Amino acid sequence: MSKPADIQPMRIRRKHLNGYQWYVFVMLTIGALFMLFPFVWMILSAFKTKADVYAYPPRWIPSSWQWENFTKVFEMIPFWRYYFNSIVTSVIETVLQIVISIFAAYSITKLRYPGKKLFLAFMRSSLFVPMVVTMIPMYLLVASLGWLDSYAGIIFPQVTTAFTTLLLMSYFDSIPKDLVDSAKLDGCGYFRVLTRVIVPNSKGAISTATLFSFLGNWKSYTWPLIVTTKTEYRTLPIGLKYLMQESSSEYQVMMAASLMAILPVLIIFIFCEKQLVRSITLTGMKS
Amino acid sequence: MKPMKKVIAFLLVALLLLPGCVSQYANTVNKADPTAAPAQQAETKTETKAETKTEEKPGEAAPTEAPAREKQTLQVWYAVSGTSGDKFVAMSKAFDEGNDLVDLELSYSGGSADTATKVSAALLTNTQPDVALMYAGPLYTGGRNDYAMAELVKRAEYDVDDIFPGMLDYCTYMGQGICAVPFGISTQVMYYNKTLLEKAGVDMTNPPKTWQEFYDLCADLLVKLGGEGKDFTAFDVSDAPWLFKSMLKQNGCEIVVQGDDGKIKPVYNDAAALEVTDFWYSLVTSGIMAAGEHDNAENRFLSGNCAFIAATSNRISRWRGATEFELGAIEMPYFKNPSLALGGNVMVILTDDPQKVEAAWEYVSYLTTAENNAEFALATGYLPIRKSELNNPDIQKALSENALYSIAFKQLDYTFAYTHFEQMGTMDSLIRNMLNKLEKNRGTSQALLDKAVKDLQSEIDEG
Repeated sequence: MSKPADIQPMRIRRKHLNGYQWYVFVMLTIGALFMLFPFVWMILSAFKTKADVYAYPPRWIPSSWQWENFTKVFEMIPFWRYYFNSIVTSVIETVLQIVISIFAAYSITKLRYPGKKLFLAFMRSSLFVPMVVTMIPMYLLVASLGWLDSYAGIIFPQVTTAFTTLLLMSYFDSIPKDLVDSAKLDGCGYFRVLTRVIVPNSKGAISTATLFSFLGNWKSYTWPLIVTTKTEYRTLPIGLKYLMQESSSEYQVMMAASLMAILPVLIIFIFCEKQLVRSITLTGMKS
Repeated sequence: MKPMKKVIAFLLVALLLLPGCVSQYANTVNKADPTAAPAQQAETKTETKAETKTEEKPGEAAPTEAPAREKQTLQVWYAVSGTSGDKFVAMSKAFDEGNDLVDLELSYSGGSADTATKVSAALLTNTQPDVALMYAGPLYTGGRNDYAMAELVKRAEYDVDDIFPGMLDYCTYMGQGICAVPFGISTQVMYYNKTLLEKAGVDMTNPPKTWQEFYDLCADLLVKLGGEGKDFTAFDVSDAPWLFKSMLKQNGCEIVVQGDDGKIKPVYNDAAALEVTDFWYSLVTSGIMAAGEHDNAENRFLSGNCAFIAATSNRISRWRGATEFELGAIEMPYFKNPSLALGGNVMVILTDDPQKVEAAWEYVSYLTTAENNAEFALATGYLPIRKSELNNPDIQKALSENALYSIAFKQLDYTFAYTHFEQMGTMDSLIRNMLNKLEKNRGTSQALLDKAVKDLQSEIDEG
């Protein structure tokens, strides 16, 4: 026999759904469907025939499931090599970005030193400079270092991002100063305060920053294209672009490639989801 | 992590691996990498070539008669992908395999804008490729006062007189000497959905010649087929500035003129340009053309939601047999005189090392022989560049069997090359923005034209 305490939450939920929250539920469902629609369309299109893709009125379900679309991708571009390169560069870039951003955000929010405000203003202003402006100087730098056609050439110019630092700063700011002071009283130095207090209390924010950072690096196209000419170092977005640009009538192949390309991002999201949701919740509570 | 999440993650990884395993066989075959030439392949190739050389010429005398030419490795960047990219790579590999003294390292350089950025950056650091197949190539040779190509094309083996004159103009910078070689040139073709038009009872045996006739036909079509779909339009164009420039020329507007001081002056805001702009706007107001939908024009046409489309000639190879409807094409309508702007790519030699220039020229000459270019044209839908190509049996066969080719090739009689100048990319961008605003009724035709001209002039003056 069930205890009353077990039944109560269900009753409360039902009561809420019977009231005005039905509207909220319906609206959220519609919103979720809107968000899911392109994703579902991509998955279905990856299995369609060319005729299905261009059919009007649209054919939602493939007339026959074309697994060949996936094999075609492997025939048209060296997919695995690109995949490997994308994973290597994205992971290293993300790790370096997060480490650098954590240090930068910590120093700006918790330390006092001359020129901090100027540094912050300089960093913020870099957000307004489009990549195309910095591309040629960066290329000159990379070329002079002999890093063209190398992982270093792809990775290092992209490891410093103001966005990730600002994202972490907004969270580090919310960590009470008393907590930091207590750690100092307990004998922690700057580094230990960071590793024992700041980082453990910011897991959600760091997960969010990691996800954003990985996403940005995973889909980075122009810079890897500019600094590489050899297959050994080329990344997945370059391969996808090759499929997309002139084979735009082969949408089903593009969709198959895109579906495979997003899998690592989905896996990262699955791992980070808990922290990500918690981070959003906490940010909401803060505001 | 909850077990369900683990299962999902596992399934995702499995989904990723499955097609890879299926295509294992495909991967074991020595596939050509479309976007780059791996160094290992080049090494293997070199060894094979050395062996072949020994086998093929066993009794040949020692090279005492002429100084031995050193083997050259050329870096080649190309800005074409898909069918065109595959064909270009195949032809380049054929040259490479048949040539003991030249090795090619091919690398896909992205779209036209990406390639422009890549080449610009590489030129600054002297890391440019030796040869590039790219859009607006003269900006990177003539723009640096490099006219070495002008001397190379005079060589007997190239037979420069056989090249269509308009295409040579396309390879000049600011109307000066030749600084590129045409390859992968295209022009716009008016494609139509034959099935749809037949259903509407539209007779295309006498297709519209002028834009006004075309307008009347489209208006009639809208009445007959307007109910086909909510978004149905009679006409669209995928590259609006390209067509607009052709229309300007057809109506007597010179687009840009070169002053006595050698400076470029935009003139596309005169009375002739205004007429064209007003006509463009009328296409939108009458519902014949959708406003600001050019990026999606090809998809709409392929889905049967648009009857006519002005698109590049290289869609002939891509769309043929790939549509659910029968594809037709007519010559591009005109205002006063038929005229069409050339577009597409050219080949440029960017190295200044004399030995490499010789090797690069050998490669470029090979690609642009009548036979090879005809092969490229038929495989890709790009235009023949030589008059003699039209006598090629394969071209003749294609012309007799496929009306689309005959339309594209017939248009060669009235194509023109617009002047290459440093700000030509800006001009296209300004025209694109101007047309977008016009279509969305954000200004009068004259005001928008004036602004586009003024902005370009400022850009030119600032250098």
